[in-house]
Amino acid sequence: MVETVISALYGGFLVSLKIFVLTLLGALPLGLVIAFGSMSRLKPVAFLTRGFVWIVRGSPLMLQLLVIFYGPGLLFGWNIWGGSDSGRLIAALTAFILNYACYFSEIYRGGIEGVPQGQREAGQVLGMTRSQIFFRVTLLQLIKRILPPISNEVITLVKDTSLARVILVYELMWEGQRFIKSEGIIWPLFFTGVFYLVFTGLLTILFRRLEKRLDYFTV
Amino acid sequence: MKTTMKLIALLLALGMAVCVFAGCGKNDASSDSAYVQDKGTLVIGITDFAPMDYQENGKWVGFDADMAAAFAASLGVKAEFVEIEWETKTMELNDKNIDCVWNGMTLTDDVKNAMETSKPYFNNAQVVVVKSGVAAQYQDADSIRDLAFVVEAGSAGAEELDALGISYKEAATQADALMEVAAGASEACVIDLLMAYAMIGEGTSYPDLTYTVKLNSEVYGVGFRKGSDLAAKLNDFFAAAYKDGSMIEIAEKYGVLDSMIAQ
Repeated sequence: MVETVISALYGGFLVSLKIFVLTLLGALPLGLVIAFGSMSRLKPVAFLTRGFVWIVRGSPLMLQLLVIFYGPGLLFGWNIWGGSDSGRLIAALTAFILNYACYFSEIYRGGIEGVPQGQREAGQVLGMTRSQIFFRVTLLQLIKRILPPISNEVITLVKDTSLARVILVYELMWEGQRFIKSEGIIWPLFFTGVFYLVFTGLLTILFRRLEKRLDYFTV
Repeated sequence: MKTTMKLIALLLALGMAVCVFAGCGKNDASSDSAYVQDKGTLVIGITDFAPMDYQENGKWVGFDADMAAAFAASLGVKAEFVEIEWETKTMELNDKNIDCVWNGMTLTDDVKNAMETSKPYFNNAQVVVVKSGVAAQYQDADSIRDLAFVVEAGSAGAEELDALGISYKEAATQADALMEVAAGASEACVIDLLMAYAMIGEGTSYPDLTYTVKLNSEVYGVGFRKGSDLAAKLNDFFAAAYKDGSMIEIAEKYGVLDSMIAQ
């Protein structure tokens, strides 16, 4: 029994891990794009981007999953994702990436605006282009500043992957919960906690190391 | 050797039967109905299960809830509804935390062994739900084989599909399974017929869904403590309520008349 449970939970964990990794790969860069959008000098672009960030940050991720996956089918009779496992995973990733990109964008914006204006002006005086100033002056300081808040979001993401089960992506929590109904045993549900704790523990250590690496300069 | 064993077994069985009958006769004074009437309440074990038992403005209503209230009134006691864990219903009953289980309970062999049950009063079935537009193609058990199914994990519907060797996706509840079909993420689901009455078709949130094949049929009954005389009393009550039309009226009120069994 124990072996069956552990292997089922492990299978669920791999799905959670897939959501986690692919969401970060998509949301970290997309967040930067959104951050630039909300800081744009073109007023309509800034306005629309901020409106989008408000909607995404202001509503539950679970609701976003349901709307993205079931919405097109229920409203227009056209299910754009298909009912296959991969279709569901792509829908889940779309929701996760959009959601986390919005949170990351605000962290980036704070980091960028935290770099003193004087440094940018100094870059201009030296004849650097805008992109040169960003990549050579701002970016490295930005990374050091935003690492702690980003690590917060990353650890939250580990646990948020459990929301994917509302559109029948069978991740870790689902696998734990199904044993209650099928076998009448409850401990697998709580045992999922071990997986989450071990994984977030590793991430915590990783972020500590990264912060130490960046200790060679101060901002 | 074998025959002597059989003989002994037969004698033992006979002896037990005699004890049971004797017990019945003697215990009349302390019968279950006397116990309930003494304390003045009939405690009814339920779960939230529309259209049988559900809450409206803080009050339990539904076909079962209304019938239970009427039965309690006929005994001259108060009806008290208590939400229970479905898995531990027999234990709750034997511990006298509740006096009956009255919640669209399927009369399985397990239930009949563990409780004193009433006559069946309701037909239920596990039905296949599809979109109305394609329903004509899926009217028999053979035609549904290649549909992409979704069912509530661990439900009776899942068991039926297992028995037919049809694969399916699992959802957390029957309601989730319905949404899957409505959104076109899955082609079909299997739910209780009674739930289908309440949740799909005209006048519901899912007007474009309909049910086709019945995969099995089962009946609902009310369960009392083993040996309780209340089961017989309820059978009489059902017969009277059916005759005077009040039972039919309540069934009509909750849109479940088609499923009711004549008493």
